[in-house]
Amino acid sequence: CQRSDLYPVPQTSVADVSAFSTAGRIQSQVLSLYGALKAGGFYGGRYLISGDIKADNFINEQSNNVTGYDVWQELPTNSSTMVLNFWSAAYLTINDCNLFIDGMNASGSTVVGSTLAGNYIAEAKLIRALSYYSLLQYYALPYANGNGVNKGLPLRLHGIKSGGYSLLARSPVDSVYLQIISDLNDAEAGLPISNGSAYNNVTRAHRNTAIALKTRVYLTMQNYNSVITEANKIVSASAPFTSPSGVTFALQSEITKVFAPPYTTSESIFSLPMSATTGDNPGTQNQLGFYFSPSKAAGGTGNGEYSLNASGVIADPNWLATDRRWAFIASSAGGKKWLNKYPAPSPYTDYPIVIRYSEVLLSLAEARVRSTSTVDPQAVALLNAVRHRSDAATTYTVASFASATSLINAILEERNIEFLGEGLRNNDMMRLLLPLPTHGNIPQKNPGDGGYIWPISATELNLNTLCTDN
Amino acid sequence: TTVTDVAGVFHLNISNKVRALQFSYIGLEEQLVPVGNKTSFSVTLHASNKNLSEVVVVGYGTQRKTEVTGSITTVKGSALSETPIQSFESGLAGRSAGVQITQASGVANEPPVFRVRGTNSISLSSYPLIVVDGVPSYTGDFNNPAGTELTSASANPLASINPSDIESIDIAKDPAATAIYGSRAANGVVFITTKKGKAGRVKVTYDGWVGQVKAYGLPQMLNADQYIAFKSQAVANNPTLNNVTFNYAKDKNGNNVNTKWFDYIYRTGTSHSHNLSISGGSDATTYYLSGGFTKQEGIIRRNDFSRANILTNIDSRVNKWLTIGGKVSYSDEQNLSAASSGSLPGEAFNTVGLGRIGEVLPSILPAYNNDGSYNINGASIGYANITGTAISYYNPVPILDLSRSNNEVSHLQSNVYAQIKPLSWITLKSIYAVDNLWVDVDNFSTPITGDGYAATGSASSILGKYKEWVWTNTAQFDHTFGDDHNFTLLVGNEQTRRTSEGYGLNRTTLSDPAYTEIQAGFTINNYTGLQLGQNYLLSTFGRLNYNYAHKYYLVGTLRQDEYSAFGKKKGIFGGGSVGWEVAQEDFWKNSGIGHIFNSFKIRGSYGKVGNNGGISDFAPYSLYGSGVYGGLATLSFPLGSVGNPIIQWETSTQTDVGFNVGILHDRITGQFAYYNNNINHLILAVSQAPSTGLPTAPNLNIGSMYNRGIEATINAVPVQKKDFTWTTSFNVTYNENKVTGLAPGLTAVQTGTSGLETVNQTKVGYSEGYLWVVRTAGVDPGTGKRIFVNSANTKVYFNLLGSPQYTTDAAGTVKYVSPTGATSISQAADAVMYKNALPRYVGGWSNNFAYKGFSLDVLLTYQAGFYVYYGTNAGLHDQRFWNNAADVLTDAWSAKSTNNAKYAKPIFGDNVSNGSTLPLDINVFKGDFIKLRNVTLSYTVPPVVMQRIGLTSARVYISGQNLGISTKYPGPDPEVSSNGNSNGGQGVDRNTVANARTFLVGLNVGF
Repeated sequence: CQRSDLYPVPQTSVADVSAFSTAGRIQSQVLSLYGALKAGGFYGGRYLISGDIKADNFINEQSNNVTGYDVWQELPTNSSTMVLNFWSAAYLTINDCNLFIDGMNASGSTVVGSTLAGNYIAEAKLIRALSYYSLLQYYALPYANGNGVNKGLPLRLHGIKSGGYSLLARSPVDSVYLQIISDLNDAEAGLPISNGSAYNNVTRAHRNTAIALKTRVYLTMQNYNSVITEANKIVSASAPFTSPSGVTFALQSEITKVFAPPYTTSESIFSLPMSATTGDNPGTQNQLGFYFSPSKAAGGTGNGEYSLNASGVIADPNWLATDRRWAFIASSAGGKKWLNKYPAPSPYTDYPIVIRYSEVLLSLAEARVRSTSTVDPQAVALLNAVRHRSDAATTYTVASFASATSLINAILEERNIEFLGEGLRNNDMMRLLLPLPTHGNIPQKNPGDGGYIWPISATELNLNTLCTDN
Repeated sequence: TTVTDVAGVFHLNISNKVRALQFSYIGLEEQLVPVGNKTSFSVTLHASNKNLSEVVVVGYGTQRKTEVTGSITTVKGSALSETPIQSFESGLAGRSAGVQITQASGVANEPPVFRVRGTNSISLSSYPLIVVDGVPSYTGDFNNPAGTELTSASANPLASINPSDIESIDIAKDPAATAIYGSRAANGVVFITTKKGKAGRVKVTYDGWVGQVKAYGLPQMLNADQYIAFKSQAVANNPTLNNVTFNYAKDKNGNNVNTKWFDYIYRTGTSHSHNLSISGGSDATTYYLSGGFTKQEGIIRRNDFSRANILTNIDSRVNKWLTIGGKVSYSDEQNLSAASSGSLPGEAFNTVGLGRIGEVLPSILPAYNNDGSYNINGASIGYANITGTAISYYNPVPILDLSRSNNEVSHLQSNVYAQIKPLSWITLKSIYAVDNLWVDVDNFSTPITGDGYAATGSASSILGKYKEWVWTNTAQFDHTFGDDHNFTLLVGNEQTRRTSEGYGLNRTTLSDPAYTEIQAGFTINNYTGLQLGQNYLLSTFGRLNYNYAHKYYLVGTLRQDEYSAFGKKKGIFGGGSVGWEVAQEDFWKNSGIGHIFNSFKIRGSYGKVGNNGGISDFAPYSLYGSGVYGGLATLSFPLGSVGNPIIQWETSTQTDVGFNVGILHDRITGQFAYYNNNINHLILAVSQAPSTGLPTAPNLNIGSMYNRGIEATINAVPVQKKDFTWTTSFNVTYNENKVTGLAPGLTAVQTGTSGLETVNQTKVGYSEGYLWVVRTAGVDPGTGKRIFVNSANTKVYFNLLGSPQYTTDAAGTVKYVSPTGATSISQAADAVMYKNALPRYVGGWSNNFAYKGFSLDVLLTYQAGFYVYYGTNAGLHDQRFWNNAADVLTDAWSAKSTNNAKYAKPIFGDNVSNGSTLPLDINVFKGDFIKLRNVTLSYTVPPVVMQRIGLTSARVYISGQNLGISTKYPGPDPEVSSNGNSNGGQGVDRNTVANARTFLVGLNVGF
C-alpha cells in the first residue's frame, strides 16, 4: 500500500499555512486584493453599472432582473441578484484585505522587510476603505441623513478563515466612515510616492491615490473643508491643474484618450486592468460594455441592456453638440441613443475607472463653493478646466454664475455629463439627499421611500441575525 | 398435446431428430432426459433445489440465496436488455422493493434519480455504490464532473455497460449486505454481474431492436390569433405600457405567421440497438465475447446517444488449485446535443433552454424571414411585429442548426484475477482492476445569434481523464465442523486509487464566419476545464458467516477504511445479522403449516456504514487559489476554499428486521422488511454570513436525519396451466425521511434551482428538500387581483399598477405593512414549509402472461405521497410577452368571467401574480402516479421450427414504454427532476423536457 497517498498535497493551490512563506506569494496576495476589487460583481462592472442604472440617465431594455431590471425600477428585494452579489463581492474583498493585514503582522513582514510590508499593508487598507465606502453608498442611509447616526455596516477588521463568525451588528454610518478615513490616512502615510511606471501607478495605489479617494469620501460626508485640504495636496492652485508632488495627475486634452488603450493616462488615478485571459476580465453579464453598448446589429459591441434616457442628461441643452463627450454617444435606428464609453468587444477588456482626476477637480470646486458660499474663482477655474477641454465653445468665468447655487448646479451638471456611465450618478444624488428622478415609467424616489437605498442581502439577514434590514 | 392418466402416465409422439426431452413444473427442478433409443421413461421431478443452489452476489463473493440474512433483491439482466434505455439503472424502476428510480428528464443519458431506501445525505451523494464484476465503478454525470457543466449533453458513465451484457443485478440494502463496503455503503450497494461463458456448445446470439421515441404531454400554447387577442387585452389592462403592440407577421405567401415552436424543437426520434455475443467453453476454460452498437435519438432535435462497446470475459481453471481469468470491456459513447435543453441541473433558466423556449416565444414570431434567412436580432430573435417590449430570448432554429455541445466518453473497464486453492477449504484470490474513463468535450456556439453572438463565435474542447485502479486480495476459509457447524471466514485488503485531470481550450471571436472547428482561426484563446484531483482508499475487512444445520445463521462484518479526502482518515464500520429458518425446524415441518410454508426465515441485522461520495479531494485543507490581475499572478483566499481538518465520514446506523416466506413449494414467495436508518455526522456546508467574506461555506459533520420504512415483495404464480402461465410480482416501499438536526445557527438549507429560484428548503422536522412556497387565496372575484397570504395568514392583494402595489383590501387603498415592516410579499418572510417532495410510496407490479410461445410482460410502476412544484406553469402564465398556455383563455380572470379564476386579471408585465417571481402554492401539485412503464409482447418460435433452419432459438417482440400514466399532475409527467440527482432539490419541474414515450420491435436469435 501507499500510505503517503492518504495525505495528498494540493498541486493547484497553496495551503493557508504557507501563504506568507515567500516574498513572491506575498506579492501575489497584494495583487489579489486588487483582483478582488475588480470582480465582476464589484468594480469590475456591476458596482459601477448600478451607480448609473439606479439613477435617471438610462432606460432598461431587456426587463431582465439578472441584469438589474429591479435595480433600475428601484424595487430591488433582499434577494435581488445585484443586492446579493455586490454585498458578498465587497465583503470578500474586505476579508481578503483583513487576512492579508493579519498575515503580514503575524509573519509576512519579516519575509519581505518592514518597508515593503508597510507599503503592502497600506494598499490593503486603501482597498478595504474603498470597499466599505462603496457598500455604504447602497446599503446605508447617506451620511447627510443625521450625520451618520443611522445603521451602517457590519464592520469587520480581522481576517476570517473558518466558520463561527457570522454574528455582527451593523455599526453606525459615522463609525464606518471613521474607519474609512483612518484607513485612508494610514494608506497615505504608508504607500509609496510612486510605483515607477504609468501602468503601475494606475493599476496599483500610491500616496496620491489615497489622497484622491479621501476627496471623494469627505465630499460624501459633506466635510467640505477636508475635501479642500486633501485636494490641495494633489491639485495645484491654478490652471493647468496638476498634482504638485508624487505621481503627476493632469487632465488629458482629449477626453476619449482616457477610455482608450493603454488606459493609463495621467488623468487615470486608479483603474483596473483587464485582459482577454479567462478570469482577468469581468465575466458574463458583468461588463460595462455589455450593459451600455448596443448590440452588434445596432453598431455596438454589447447587449444593449440599457439605452440612454432621452429625457436624461443627454437632453441637457447646455451639453453642446460640439462637446467632445458626444463621441461617447452612439445612435441606433429609431433614434435610440446609447453610451459607447466602453467599446472593447467581448471579452470586454476596457479598464473600469475607480477614480480619475477630473472628479478630484470637480469635488474640490464643489467643496470650495459650498464652504465659502460664494462664486469662488478657483472653483470656476476648476469647473472650466473640465468643461473647456471637451467643449471648446464654452469658457466659464466668474461672471457666468449669478450665485453660488448656480455654480454648484453647474458643477453637478458637469459631473453628470462628465461621469456618465462611470457609476457616480447615484452616489452624487444620495450624498445630497436628492430624490432619484423619474426615468421611463419609474416614478421618482424620495429619501425615505422604499428602494431609495437597497435592502440588506437576504443571506446576510438569514445568517447574521444581529444584522437588521433597512 | 397429451394428458396424463391417474398414475401420471402419458404418451408423446416425437420426431426422430429429437435428442432430449425437457420436463419442468413450477417449484420442481427441471430435468433434461436424453431420448437415445429408449421409448419409455420413468421421470420423477424433485422439489426444486433452485433456491438452495441459486446464489446472490455479495461483497467479495457469492452466497447461496437461502443463507442470506440481509435484504438483497436480484433483478435479471434480461429484464433490461429489451428497453431503449441508455444505462441499466433506468430499467430498474418498479422492479425492486426499496429502490426508487426517477427519470429526471427526456434528455438522453441523464442519470436517473437512484435511491435505495430513501435519500441518505444532504451534501454528499445519495447514489448507491455500483460494483461491476467486483470493482466499484464511477457514477454521476461526467458531463458535470467538478460541478461545472461541460456540455448540454449528459454523460452517465454507467451507460458504458451494455444492458444486454448484464447477467444479474443484486441490490444490497441493509447493513448485513452492505457493511463489507464500509465507508461507501450508506446508499446501498448494487452489484452488476456481466455474462460469462458456460461449458458446452458454443452459443452465438443476436439481440436487436429498432424503435421510435416521441414527446408526450406538451402544453397547448396560444396560437397567433389567441396570442394577439389575449396579449392586447393584457396591454389594454396596463395603461403605463400602452406603447406595446402585437401584430401579425406575414409569411412570404402573405398569410399570418402562426409558429408552432414545439415543431422546431421536438421530433420523433429513431433508435436501434444491436448486440452479438459468442460464448461457450470447455470444462476448464469458458469465455464470453460480445459487441454491441446502439444509436438512440432523443425527443429533442439533435440530442442523440450512441454507444459502441465490446466485452470479453474469460475464466480458466488451469489445474486443481489455480484459476485465472479476467475481463476487458471497452465502450465509446457519443452524447450529442445542439444546445441546452434547459433540463439538466443548473440549466432551468438558460435563455436557450429548449424545454422553455418553445413555451416562451410568441406564436406570431416567425422562425425564418421571408427571404429564407433566420429571424434574428443580434443574440435574440427578431421582434417581427411586436413593438414596445424587448424579447431577449433566442431563436432556437439557427442554434439547433449550427451549434453543438457534445461529449464523447471512452471507457475501459477491465480486471485480471488469480485464484488459488491450496487446500479444498481455503481460497485465496487477488484481483487487479483498471477503470479508465475519458471525456472529450466539443462545444461550438454559432456567431450568428444566441450565446455565441457576443463573442463572435465560441468553441471549446476539453479533455477529462479519470483513472482508477483497485487491487483486492482476499482469503476465504470454508469449513464445516462436525456435521452442522458451517463456517465461512473472509478476510481481505483493498486499495482504491483514483486520479482525475482535465484541461481544455476555449477560443472566441471567429476569424471567418464559416469556421466551425476549434482548430480554425479565432483571435482570443483561453484555457477552460482545468481540473486535478486524486484520492486513495485503503481498506481491510473481514466477514464471518456461521450457520448451524442451515437453520440458524449468524453473520458478522467488519471493515476499516482510511480515506485521503478526510481529515480524520480512519473509520471503522461493520454489522451483524442473524437469521432463523423456521421451516427447517421439526416442529414446523411436522405441523400443518409446514406443508403450506416451505420456507419461513426470520432475519435481522444491525450495523454502521458510511458515506464519502462526492467529498472534495482536498476537503481538510484551507486553500489559497491563484488568479490574475492584469496578467500578473495573484494568490488569495477568496479564490480558494475553506477546509475542515477534522472532517470525516457521514455515518448510517441501520437496523433491519424482516422475514422471507416460501409458500407451496415457492409458488408464492414474499419478503418483508422494516428498516430504520439513522444518519449522523451529515456533512453540511454551513453557510456563514456573506459579510464574513469566506469564499466557500465550511463543511462540518453536523447534521442528522433518518429514513424509516417498510418494504414488501410478493411473487406468485397465480395460474399455472399447461399452456398458460401467469407470474406476477408486486412490491411496495414506504419510506419516511425526516431531518432531525442541522447546525447551530443554521435553521434551513436551501437548494436553489439553477441559481434563480429556490423552492426546496431542508429544515429540522421535515423531509429533505420540502417545498417552500408562498401561499395564495385565489383571485379576487371583484378585481381580478391575486391574493397572497402572508406569514401571519393575512390576505394581501397585489396589483402591478397599484400604488401601493400590495394592499390589505381588494380596492387597493390600504397599504400592506408586514409585522416586520415590509411592504411587499417576499419568499423569505412569507413562504411556508408547504409540501413533501420525496415520494413516500414507491413500487411496481410486474406480470408475465405466457401462452404457448407467446409472452406478454406488463410492468406498472408507481410513486405516491409527494408533491411537485410545476415551475414551468408559472412561465406558462407569465404576463410579459411570453406566450401562455391556452387555459388562460378560460381560467384567467376577466370582466366577463370572474368567479374561481385560476389566474389573475392579465395585466401586461405582471410576472408576480402567477408565480414567476415568487414560487406560489398554485403551482404545487400532487405528484402521485401509476405508469404503464413497459409492455412487451413476444413470440418464441418453437425450437422444432428453428432447428429446421439451423438456428437454436428465435424470439420476436414488440414493446412500448411509458404508454400510459394515471396522475392528477397537470404537467407532462410528474416523474421529473429539474435538479437531477440533487438530494435537497427534488420535486421541481422547471422548464424541463419531459420523458419520452417509445415503441420498438426486436429480435433475439440464437445460433
